[in-house]
Amino acid sequence: MRDSETGTSLNHVNLPNRRARTLKFAALATAGLFVAGCATNAPQDTTDPAGTNAQQIYDLSWPIFAIAGLVGVIVFGVLAFVIVRDRDRGQPIPEQTHGKPKLEIALTILPALILIGVAIPTVGVIMDLDDTSDTECVVNVTGQQWWWEFDYPVQDGCGGITEPIVTSGQMVIPADTNVLIRGTSRDVIHSFWIPRLNGKRDMVPGRVHNLRMQANEPGIYAGQCAEFCGLSHANMRMEVVALDDGDFETWKANQLEDYESPTSEAALRGETSFVTNCSRCHQIDGITDADGVPIVSRPDQQVYSGAAPNLTNLMTRNTFAGASWDLINQDYRDEVWEASPEEFGDLYLAGVTDDVFNEVDLREWLRNSPTKKPMYTDPLELEATDGLVRGMPYLALSEDQIDDLLAYLLERK
Amino acid sequence: MFTTGSKFLIGASVMALIATLVYGIGQGGVLGTVGLTSATVALIGLATLNALLRDSNVFSDDEAPVETSSAAQFSPPSSVWPLGFAFGSVVIAVGLISYQPIVVIGLVALVVTGGEWAVQAWAERASGNVEHNAAVRSRLSNPLEYPVGGAVAIGIIVFSFSRVMLWLSKTNTTIAFSVLAAVVLAIGFAIAYRPKMGAGAVGGVMAVGAVAVVAAGAITGLDGERDIPEFETTSIWQEEAILHPTEYAEGAEEGKHPAGLICESPEEFPEADERASETVASKSGSYQVFLTEDETLAFDVPGPIEEGPAGMVIPRSNPTNVIFRNESDEHRRLSIDFGTETLEVEGEDTEVRHQICTTLIEPGGAQLLTVEADLPTFSADGIVNPNGPGGEEGDGFWLFVPGVDTATLELIVP
Repeated sequence: MRDSETGTSLNHVNLPNRRARTLKFAALATAGLFVAGCATNAPQDTTDPAGTNAQQIYDLSWPIFAIAGLVGVIVFGVLAFVIVRDRDRGQPIPEQTHGKPKLEIALTILPALILIGVAIPTVGVIMDLDDTSDTECVVNVTGQQWWWEFDYPVQDGCGGITEPIVTSGQMVIPADTNVLIRGTSRDVIHSFWIPRLNGKRDMVPGRVHNLRMQANEPGIYAGQCAEFCGLSHANMRMEVVALDDGDFETWKANQLEDYESPTSEAALRGETSFVTNCSRCHQIDGITDADGVPIVSRPDQQVYSGAAPNLTNLMTRNTFAGASWDLINQDYRDEVWEASPEEFGDLYLAGVTDDVFNEVDLREWLRNSPTKKPMYTDPLELEATDGLVRGMPYLALSEDQIDDLLAYLLERK
Repeated sequence: MFTTGSKFLIGASVMALIATLVYGIGQGGVLGTVGLTSATVALIGLATLNALLRDSNVFSDDEAPVETSSAAQFSPPSSVWPLGFAFGSVVIAVGLISYQPIVVIGLVALVVTGGEWAVQAWAERASGNVEHNAAVRSRLSNPLEYPVGGAVAIGIIVFSFSRVMLWLSKTNTTIAFSVLAAVVLAIGFAIAYRPKMGAGAVGGVMAVGAVAVVAAGAITGLDGERDIPEFETTSIWQEEAILHPTEYAEGAEEGKHPAGLICESPEEFPEADERASETVASKSGSYQVFLTEDETLAFDVPGPIEEGPAGMVIPRSNPTNVIFRNESDEHRRLSIDFGTETLEVEGEDTEVRHQICTTLIEPGGAQLLTVEADLPTFSADGIVNPNGPGGEEGDGFWLFVPGVDTATLELIVP
C-alpha cells in the first residue's frame, strides 16, 4: 500500500513504531522474568541449600546452567539472525550446497566435548548422592493420595528407637545427621522432594527407593510431591523438621509416651465421637474400648491406599491434611519458621497449644473435608475402587460433635 | 497475506480453542481440558511457525504460474475416496446391527475418506490444471497424511511383530529377534555402501519385508499365543485347606498331597512346590530373611540397621518384598503367621490362621515373598501365636520355618 501524496510505502513508515513496540514488549517480558525471581517467601528454593546433598546439587547446577545458557544464547541468537536476514522477501532461493566436512566435524566434536565436560562432574555427584552407606538413621517414607506417612522402625540408629513411631505430614530428623529415607508408595507413583535438602526421588508402589537426607542445622524445610498423582497432587505437601540431638530425643520420647485419657468433659465426648466416626480409618495408639480391648483402625477396608494418618500425637505436628493446612496460627507459624537454630527446637516441641491453635481450618476440615481439599469421596463415584475412598469423606458431623472432637484432638500430643 | 497451510492451521487453532472453552465450561473435565488446551497451544505454535515460513514455499506469493496456467480443458481425475466413504458407511451400518466395536472401524474409515474427499474436492476448484490442483491438495494434506500414515504403518508392523514373538517359544523369540536385527543391519550397511542403489530396489525390499511381517503377524495372531504354563501357588493350597476342608482332607487321604496347612508343613506339596520357579524378581530395596546353617532366622533390611533388634519391622498396609534365602542343608519354606482371622467356612464363621509362605526352597536357593500386613502387631497383644517361640512372649506376628523349631523371628507392624 502506498501513500497517494508522498508515494512512500505506508508499511515502511510504520515499521519503526512496530519495532519499538516489539522491543518494549521484549523488555517488559524480560523484566517480568527477573522480578519473578525476587520472591522472598519461597521456602522451596533450590538455590538456597540447607544440607550437604542439596549443596552438591546446587554447586553442580550453576556451572552447567551457565554453559547451557551460553549455548542457548548462541544457538537462538544465530537462529534469530538467520531468520531475520533470510526472511522471505520474494528473493530467489539461495544457492544450495551440500557437505562442509570440516565444519560438520567441528560442530560434532565441540558439543561432544561440552557434554563430556558436563558429564564428568554430573556422574560424580549422581554416584555420591546415590551412596547411602554413610547414613545413621532410617525413616520409612510412604506416599499415598494425598499425604505422606513417616515411620521410624526399631533400630540402633537415630539415637536408638525401641518401638516403631508413626507420624505424617512432618518428618522429624536429627540435624547434621545423614538420614536414610526408604521410600515407597501405597497407590500411585509419587515423588518426594524437599528442595533445600536434596533432589527428587520417585516413590513407586512395590519398590523401595533410597534417598539420603541431611539438614545442616535445626529448622523446618518445606517440600511437595513432585510427580503428578491425581486430583489433589498440588495439596500433597510435606515438611522436614530438623532438631538438635537433645530435642530429637525429647521428640522421640514424647511420641512413645502412653496414651492419656481425655481430661475434660468435651474431650471425653470427643473421644467417643472419634471412636464412632474416625477410628475406622485413623489409628490412635493406646485407645481402648470399655473392656480394655485396643481399638484397631481398618483403613484397608475403607481407603483405596489402605492407610490413613495416625493421629496419636497429632498436636505435636504443625500441619494436617497432607501438610496443606496449619494447626498453628499464622503468627506462631511465622515465629517457628523464622526462629534461629538455637530457638527453633523449643518452639517446635511446644506443639499446638490453646493460644496458638488454628481452630478455623481444622474445624472446616471436620465440617466438610472434600470441599476443602479435592478428593474422590463421593459414594456415587467410587465404583472403580469398589467403594473405597481416596481421601477423607464427608462425615456429616454436627457442630457439637466438631467442638468435642477439637477438644479431644487438642489433647493428642 | 496468509498461505493455504497457515489458514488451515489458524482455522484448526480457532476450532481447538472453541472446543476447549465449550468442553472446559460445559463438561469441566480436568484431563480433557488439559488435553484440548495442549492441542490448542500446539496448533497456535504450528500456525505461527507456518505463517513465518510461508509453507516453506518462497514462491507462495507469486500467483503468475496460477494465472497463466491452462484452465480451458479441465476434467477432474478419478477418486477413490467416495468408494471409501461408502465402505465406511456400510461398515457402520453392519456394526450397529451386529457387533458394535466394528462401528469404530467404520467411523475411522468415514472420517478419513470423508476428509480426504473434501480436501480433494476443494483442491480441484483451485484451477483447471490437474497438476497444480494436485500440488495444492498435497500442500494441505501431506503434512497430516505422512506422519499419521507412517504412525499407522509402524503400529501395524510392531503389532504384527509382537504377535510373532508371542507365538514363538521363549528361546525362538530371542533367535528371531537377533536374526531380524542382523538382517536390518545388513540391509542398512548395503544401502550405505551402495548409495546409488535404485530407490525402486530399496523400496521393493522394504515392501516385501513389511508384507512378510504383517502376513506372519496375521497368521500367528490367528493361531494364538504360545502356551504359558500356570501352576497352583502355595496360597491356593492354603485357601483350599481352609475354605474346603472336607474335599482337602479327602485329597490328602487319596495321597494327592500331604495333610495340613501347606504353610505349616515341611513336606513337599505337588503342583505348588514341585513346579514353582525359585526366582527372585525384586531388585529394589528388598528385605532379606536367612535360614542360617545353625537353623535360626536372621534378617537384613535396607539401610544401616545391621545388627538390629530381635524383630523385623515392616510398614503397615504396604506390600514389602522379602527374599527368603535358605542357607540350611534341607529343603525349607518361610512362613508368616499373622494371627487369626474370621472367615466363612462351609456356611459358618470360623477363626483360622492368617498365613502366607514361600514354596519349598532347595539348599542355597532363594525366593521372593511379598508381605502385606493390614493390622498392627498390637492388635494381637496377649494372643499367643502357636508358631512363635511359645509362652507369653510368643504373642503377635511371627516368621517361622515349618519343621525347624529354632527358626522364629518376630514381625513388628506399627
